[in-house]
Amino acid sequence: MTVASMWTRQVAALAIKELKQLWRDRGLFGFVIYVFTLNIVLAAGGVSFELNHVPVIIHDADHSDAARDLTYRFQPPYFALQGEVGTAQQAMDMLDREEARVLVDIPHGFDETLREGTQPATVQLLVDASHANSGYLAASYASAIAGAFGTEWSQRNLARAGADPAGIPHVENRVRLWHNADLNEPWFHTIAELTTMMTVMCILLPAAALVREKERGTIEQLLVSPLSALQVMLAKVLAMVAVTLAGVAVALFGIMQPIYDVPARGSLVLLFALTAVYAFTNAGLGLVIATFSRNSGQTGLLVMLIVMPIITLSGTWTPFESMPAWLRAAMTLSPLRHFVDIAYSILLRGAGLNVLWDSVLAMTALGVVLFAIGLARFRRQFV
Amino acid sequence: MKLRRALAVAYKEWREILRDRIYLLLAFLMPAMLMIVFGYGMSQDVENVALAVLDEDGTSLSRDYAQRYIESRHFAYRGHLRAAREADRLLADGQVKVIVIIPQHFAERLMEGQVASVQTLVDGSFTTIARTVHSYVDAINAAFDSGLRVRFLTARLGITQQRAAVLIQPVQLQVRYLYNQEARSIWGIAPSLMMFTLMMVVPILTALAVVREKESGAIYNVYSSTISRGEFILGKLLPSVAISSVNALILWLLATRFFGAPFKGSFGLLALATVLFIICASGFGLVISFVVRTQQAALIVVTILATLLAMQYSGILTPVSSMTGASHAIARAFPPMYYENVIKGVFMKGVGARVLWPDLLFLAGFGALVMAAAYALFKKRIRS
Repeated sequence: MTVASMWTRQVAALAIKELKQLWRDRGLFGFVIYVFTLNIVLAAGGVSFELNHVPVIIHDADHSDAARDLTYRFQPPYFALQGEVGTAQQAMDMLDREEARVLVDIPHGFDETLREGTQPATVQLLVDASHANSGYLAASYASAIAGAFGTEWSQRNLARAGADPAGIPHVENRVRLWHNADLNEPWFHTIAELTTMMTVMCILLPAAALVREKERGTIEQLLVSPLSALQVMLAKVLAMVAVTLAGVAVALFGIMQPIYDVPARGSLVLLFALTAVYAFTNAGLGLVIATFSRNSGQTGLLVMLIVMPIITLSGTWTPFESMPAWLRAAMTLSPLRHFVDIAYSILLRGAGLNVLWDSVLAMTALGVVLFAIGLARFRRQFV
Repeated sequence: MKLRRALAVAYKEWREILRDRIYLLLAFLMPAMLMIVFGYGMSQDVENVALAVLDEDGTSLSRDYAQRYIESRHFAYRGHLRAAREADRLLADGQVKVIVIIPQHFAERLMEGQVASVQTLVDGSFTTIARTVHSYVDAINAAFDSGLRVRFLTARLGITQQRAAVLIQPVQLQVRYLYNQEARSIWGIAPSLMMFTLMMVVPILTALAVVREKESGAIYNVYSSTISRGEFILGKLLPSVAISSVNALILWLLATRFFGAPFKGSFGLLALATVLFIICASGFGLVISFVVRTQQAALIVVTILATLLAMQYSGILTPVSSMTGASHAIARAFPPMYYENVIKGVFMKGVGARVLWPDLLFLAGFGALVMAAAYALFKKRIRS
């Protein structure tokens, strides 16, 4: 038997040992199953940022047909009319209790001003902006409602003023959504959740596997055996890469595609190949963490400390481009930052290596560096 | 139950915490770090979105139109396209998220009083960005459109600009943002992060304190000692509630000083709600610690449940009023939403106990319930 095949067989044997250990650790194994199945389903039904039945109250001091016409346009799915309030104090109370989040205040003389057409008829809109984003959306949808209402009056008044409404220039902007034309929320949520939890798994599993050996002292046994430090680490990484690939396959083919119709517009082979690279990169990070901690409790805390910033600041859940420039620069060190681009681009945008090469290169480079650091620290500690 | 014995457990606990350096560091470092990281990471503001323009008309009017998008602070201009087929590649890469396409004869049609159609391609893969960008684009287009129409009418009918403006847009909507006048998301997020961070860290600290003893076997000393279940639970709880209260104060300072969030209400009311919430969260950690066996498992279970409850079902990300069905019921069954209400109330709205008493009552009730559950779950016998 050649040296090379011997070397590979040893790594394979060790990797199988890792898989068996994971299988026997029912708690951790259950967690792996949960992450790639139920967790994805929960995430898909979770948060939507679309306006949904925002409760609207009306303070109508005009009691005219025009005022009623305007207020009845606040309809589901975006808004839900909660009725009229008599006084400003009552309105503020309802806003404070979050029973209403928008107040439309129509002043006395609204109808008259509209008919005269010499002054703009003003309507006050009070929006609860404690959720800044949904507050902004509510205001802009309300503006669209008021705009459409205004346009109808404008047509009438123009005709009266002797101008043909059809002969006035108008710029129409047709917005077309690409990649997710119906803004299907589960597509976004399941992909975001999958990349997030993959990251947690890929860092935690190798770290836990290595620290467990440190805790139990079995690491010494491995090191006196005819195995090199590289083989020991490589076996752990390979086992966890295999688990991750299997998990992604289950999540993608078992849940995301059959239940939510998440498309795969690019090459799936490429996606799985890059998932393997990504898992390898994170495993390197996990091993580095494991060399710093003494027991599994410490590992868990350190993993959290490192994983939290990675999964929140890499642009998975929040618009990456809105973050300050220094933070964006710092996040190029996060493997997830690059993988998020890759996952969305392959699944939704149908991209190939020709456009993704820079992300792939950065991710691979990070992986090599992290793995080298982990190996160096591991050797210094034990060999 | 004797208070003296509970205090002895608490004192022992405190000395152990002092000796475990990583635990100690994390107990005080992790909350502050989480808050700063999430403060930057959770902002749903949509700014700097990469924009490209394809101007097939090339007139001064079309340039003026494109300029409106280029100058907007919401967009980061990345250049002009030369041909429509470049759009595919740019959008596939994700490097450009918005492309405004101005067709030929844009200016010509408008000068003749006709309709000109502009097309905007928006990358929909990140749904929140797409939705917000859609409304930015509509707003910019509407502003240009009404300006153009006013100019046209002024010239055509020989009337004043003001008169023309009323003819074009007879209704004026005056928007006022309540509670957060600048609609700055960090002012809303930073206070909510107090809730999220406490929900995350407090159960971890409590759960680890118990599971550590299970792992090392020290729990058998507790089983065989004369100490009662209540005394043990109280002794475990006191240090973690004390540490967490200090942390809550640090978090409050970060929210108000570092992130500059406005604080309009009563500090005493917030303090009361915070202590109640910490008790709920500690109890939650205790319950988990009695169920799992290893520190690793405790961390994992707490992290998953806490993130789920504190993020998805608390009203941080999306108002509870817009949740439906099961989500709504889940949100109403757990403390995060109620504490979040109190936080929103005292930070932004400046309301008092008159409005917030139901939330305080729920927190107190849940705290009592979860403590009872912990008491029932903790057995001084080894499960065989």
